[in-house]
Amino acid sequence: MNEFEWRRQLRNLRQPLRPQRDLWTSIDAALADVAPASTRSSDPSLPRRRPEHWRRWLLGASLAASALLVAGMGRRLLHPPAGLPVIVSTSPAMPAWKPTDPRLAGAAIELDAARMELQQAIRQAPDSAALQRLLARTERQQAQLRQSANSAG
Amino acid sequence: MIVAHINPGSRMSPVAANTGANDTDDVRAAMAGDRRAFERLYRLHVGRVHGAVYRLAGYDRARAEDLTQEAFIRAWQKLPGFRHESAFGTWLYRLAVNLALMDIRARGADPVSMLDDEHLPDTGQTPFCAAEREELERAIGRLPPRARAVLVLHDIEGWRHEQIGSEMGMATGTSKAQLHRARGLLRKILGPAAPGVPA
Repeated sequence: MNEFEWRRQLRNLRQPLRPQRDLWTSIDAALADVAPASTRSSDPSLPRRRPEHWRRWLLGASLAASALLVAGMGRRLLHPPAGLPVIVSTSPAMPAWKPTDPRLAGAAIELDAARMELQQAIRQAPDSAALQRLLARTERQQAQLRQSANSAG
Repeated sequence: MIVAHINPGSRMSPVAANTGANDTDDVRAAMAGDRRAFERLYRLHVGRVHGAVYRLAGYDRARAEDLTQEAFIRAWQKLPGFRHESAFGTWLYRLAVNLALMDIRARGADPVSMLDDEHLPDTGQTPFCAAEREELERAIGRLPPRARAVLVLHDIEGWRHEQIGSEMGMATGTSKAQLHRARGLLRKILGPAAPGVPA
């Protein structure tokens, strides 16, 4: 027998085989003790929340958290005097944007707020390279979030 | 609904393995808690599930029956997670195989069923002999559990090394090495080829 025939013989072992005794009685008895499927099931025809959504939510939350941290650090670095007028502006290159997914919308708002705070800080210290880097990073994070929202459909 | 009426312990035709086309209604009913529908699913798919588990368990009938039973109980519990992305039969089969692999991992190196290279005479590059089915099954049953699992999944069930590595938590190269080892051990167990049998 050559190896080809040998492998064919092995592949022929792949046959369904019923157990010698009927296992259903034992299975049925065990099912009575476990929670029935229906108690944890919604209509199977309805779309379920996919794990990707959870990952997207995590991504959004982590982006927002890091943006807030960055913005806080930037403000502390500058020690801005109290009572300064609040300048609210949005970059024309990065207009305010709100995704339709409510879980991503929170992250988008946080990132936008962080970006505006950094822009305010930069107006007070236009020569600060650190603030410029932080702003660029925040805008990259906004772009990533937008990309995630687009890929999510 | 197709229900296979075959005597327990009997082999089924390969056609009976592909029974996933007409079980959709029963799957939905079982997901809603209908145990009669789940029983029909059991009758329909038990052959494929038990066959795979039986081979992975080294042709140990008692263990295979326990694993088959456990697989259907877990399937009932996990039914809410079934998303119709694959055929129910395929989902159930993968669940059962995973269970059998977990059982192998949990048992570790079982000294009773363990057969390692040093316990066999070194016959060099012995060609395969023409083994009868039962002889072949017995030989596979004597293989070390992990090597046997890789051989069963690759050479019998038709899995790729990437799938095996993923399911068994090993690198693809390790899966290939285990398969090579399993085939070598099988050669040794089955002995030299009969005269006139091509290598």
